Amino acid sequence: MAASSDTLERDAKLQGVGSSRLRKEDARFIRGKGTYIDDIKLPGMLFGAIVRSPYAHARIKSIDKTKALAVPGVVAVLVADDLKPVKLHWMPTIGGDVQAVLADKKVCFQMQEVAMVIAADRYSAADGADLVEVDYEELPAIVDPHKAMAPGAPVIREDIADKDEVGHGKRTHPNHIFTWEAGDKDGTDAVFARAAVTVREEILNPRVHPCPLETCGCVASFDKVTGQLTVYITSQAPHLVRTVVAMLSGVPESKIRIISGDIGGGFGNKVPIYPGYVVAIVASIVTGVPIKWIESRIENISTTGFARDYHGIGELAADKDGRIKALRFSALADHGAFNSHVSATKLPAGLFSICTGSYDIPKAYCRVDAVYTNKAPGGVAYRCSLRVTEAVYLIERMIDVLAQKLGIDKAEIRRRNFVKADKFPYTTSLGWTLDSGNYHAALDKVLKAVDYEGLRREQAAKRAKGELMGIGVCTFTEIVGAGPTKVCDILGIGLFDSCDIRVNPTGSAIARLGTMSQGQGHATTYAQIIATELGLSSEEIQIEEGDTDKAPYGAGTWGSRSTPVGGAAAALAARKIRAKAHKIAAHLLEVGEGDLEWEVDRFKVKGNPAQAKTMKEIALAAHTSNLPAGMEQGLDGTEYYDPPNLTYPFGAYVCVVDIDRFTGETKVRRFYALDDCGTRINPMIIEGQIHGGLTEAFAVAFGQAVPFDENGNHLGNSLMDYFLPTAVETPRWETDHTLTPSPHHPIGAKGVAESPHVGGIPCFTNAVVDAFAHLGVTHMDMPHTAYRVWQQCKALGINKR
Amino acid sequence: MKIQIDKTYPMPCTADVAWEFLQNLEAVAGCMPGAKITERLDPARYKGTVTARVGPATMSFRGEVEMKDVDPSARSLRLLGKGTDSTGTSGAALSLTARIDATADGLCALSGASEMSMSGKAATFGGRMLYTVAEQILQQFAANFAARVGALAGQRAAAGNGAPAPASAVPAADASELNVLAIAWTILQNWLRRLFSRKVA
Repeated sequence: MAASSDTLERDAKLQGVGSSRLRKEDARFIRGKGTYIDDIKLPGMLFGAIVRSPYAHARIKSIDKTKALAVPGVVAVLVADDLKPVKLHWMPTIGGDVQAVLADKKVCFQMQEVAMVIAADRYSAADGADLVEVDYEELPAIVDPHKAMAPGAPVIREDIADKDEVGHGKRTHPNHIFTWEAGDKDGTDAVFARAAVTVREEILNPRVHPCPLETCGCVASFDKVTGQLTVYITSQAPHLVRTVVAMLSGVPESKIRIISGDIGGGFGNKVPIYPGYVVAIVASIVTGVPIKWIESRIENISTTGFARDYHGIGELAADKDGRIKALRFSALADHGAFNSHVSATKLPAGLFSICTGSYDIPKAYCRVDAVYTNKAPGGVAYRCSLRVTEAVYLIERMIDVLAQKLGIDKAEIRRRNFVKADKFPYTTSLGWTLDSGNYHAALDKVLKAVDYEGLRREQAAKRAKGELMGIGVCTFTEIVGAGPTKVCDILGIGLFDSCDIRVNPTGSAIARLGTMSQGQGHATTYAQIIATELGLSSEEIQIEEGDTDKAPYGAGTWGSRSTPVGGAAAALAARKIRAKAHKIAAHLLEVGEGDLEWEVDRFKVKGNPAQAKTMKEIALAAHTSNLPAGMEQGLDGTEYYDPPNLTYPFGAYVCVVDIDRFTGETKVRRFYALDDCGTRINPMIIEGQIHGGLTEAFAVAFGQAVPFDENGNHLGNSLMDYFLPTAVETPRWETDHTLTPSPHHPIGAKGVAESPHVGGIPCFTNAVVDAFAHLGVTHMDMPHTAYRVWQQCKALGINKR
Repeated sequence: MKIQIDKTYPMPCTADVAWEFLQNLEAVAGCMPGAKITERLDPARYKGTVTARVGPATMSFRGEVEMKDVDPSARSLRLLGKGTDSTGTSGAALSLTARIDATADGLCALSGASEMSMSGKAATFGGRMLYTVAEQILQQFAANFAARVGALAGQRAAAGNGAPAPASAVPAADASELNVLAIAWTILQNWLRRLFSRKVA
């Protein structure tokens, strides 16, 4: 049935799903009217500054507060001993471990929190922090995770030295956290033993940091009269923070209000609970005045949620035509001094077992060994669903290594191994059920768009002249939207999410969700979903998140879970409202419900379209006495959505680089990114997400790293060293899409924000390595800085004229 | 951040005079630009400070120095020092083996083998300059050492001639602060000199 022009016009007016409506958040951001954590100012507020350890591993012999307390304005100096009476010198982490809030007898990483100075303003707090005298006895530090489990290695965590497990199975060494495996080990080994071809490569994902524009911070305010604790905080998961604070402090959860205002970027850096928050909260509970703690840039890069530090080994077994028969991946994971990263109880290595990628691999086995080192804790930040970046990097690198070994084209080898479109839903040999995909179509579209054959011809001509040109191909499959509560939880709380919609008599609405925007544009896109479901204009739908007194419980925004979980909750809550509206419309039109059909914004009588009731009319009626017998007033709907599966967005990327063999400089000439995230809610926002994710992928591939020296000193924790690309360095991005809806999501949508980061990083490395492939190079570790690439040229003897 | 520097500097005095001076830790500390002994804990252990100035900022390290393995027959000893800066953000440790060797011309040479390690902000921000800076500091130290043992040798000679010896055998240190900008300038000069001399050669 062709839609009439009237219907199309009404549909366009809603600005619902598919509309590139402008972001509702930007009006306040571009006027400087955002409210970030440091904009919160409460009467009588005091400031906290943290005293941190200069050593990576040391015993604390004594702490002298005298000089600090003498600084005008300094009110108190808190150390571990001060938190002991309230049992808050240690706290549980969201990884099943415990972490020192303030160092208790020893420090285990450089910049670890030792004391907090509370003062009338941030300057006296900083002056006071400089004067706290801590006497340390330096201990040998473990920086290289490969040395962590050596016999006789220094014991980092004396507090748990006699525990044979920390939440994830048996430990075999005091510095061992867990060993986790998936798949059929014996079956995989057997395939490897008789395979025609096998390849092996050691592949490092270096430690990096998302470095969001806004650092972490909080303002804690405890009212001694009412017993109410209000915490303004930079958190991507406010409800989880509330639950943890209740567990820690003993304040009833109903008296705790967590408010996340505008957040200047999170990327996973703002999921964990940090010691700074806890000390500020304790200090406010003790003093009864609001306490503000704001991290500096150096503190942010050095101590809060880093990413990666995965030391991988990839192995593939294949036949002589390049068809993969088995996969065997392992990784040594450096979690730092405390296992503080987000991980589901049953999935300590996150979603690493998605490492079979887009390929039909009959046998697979993977294993992750996590260890403690004298480095800051964390590991799963940075635009990545819990170790997906590491998994995708390994498979997308290894398939290139296999292609080179067999002399098969890197696009062709992918075609030969893709899961075919008619096989979905497809269950991988490591147990994930990929919901939908069309990998061949996506790759072919990209290869045609960039004239792949032409690029390979150009490359051959350049190689003949001694020039370096690389073509990177990456065909990734992501796993996002954690997740089904039967497999996914944090501290035992399932990773469902929620939406509560209330429609007003005049047909506008407010919706509150358990997720938390950090720049993703939720206020824009959720309204579009609800607009399409309810036939109300998205302009009149208000979205609220982040205030736990208002929003229903949810696990927050990370791991691209907002659209797959929160978006689904929004659609289903709206459908509950529409179902009630359907009954009201039938009552008002005096027909049976079955005689009505929904069209854009109204229920109309089948065959008599003039007889109709719009949602706006129904909204008003819902607040009158003119309702079906026994029906209550109001037009509200609430949904707690437990996803039946995760969603699996995918993409095909091609990157072309030119490398100067004399200087090692790499120029990204072209980057073409095709993403398939199912139903597209707001194409403009999707494109923005892809630009951002690719830029962060570029940053990781070409410069970002958090290096340490052998004593555990940070060698790159300020923006003097840490690479943040600006418009000057960033290449031009070309974007494209295909559309393969998710069969189990109410509107067919998948997540998208992480895809460009997860798929972009291996694409860049694949391009750089491809430039050297004809010279026998199979792998180069990131970051591909000019110096490191030049070293490769030098090793090959091609850096001289 | 750990570095090792081994250096030998000629001294304008006899080995006995230099060895006598070397065992006087307070005097030796006076040769170290920016260093000062503040307290004597026992004959072999002292408390002291090292102050370094970088433009408008002053970094002050406080810590302990210990003299060990004094070997008169080899005229060698070991100095172990470690400390933290007053803001608690950096730490430094030094292990120096110093030896006096008589040379063919009747004078002597001071040899030092040192291992220096830094932690915290000093390593993060200063690490890339550490080797060159340490080399410069040692050079200044050797120059001060030479000047003072030279003076001491003069006094010894005068005393031998019947002139009264001054109450303090050790001339006062001239620089009380280690000026890092000045050191940076010297480093730059040396580097430029090396650069051009290489081109000429």
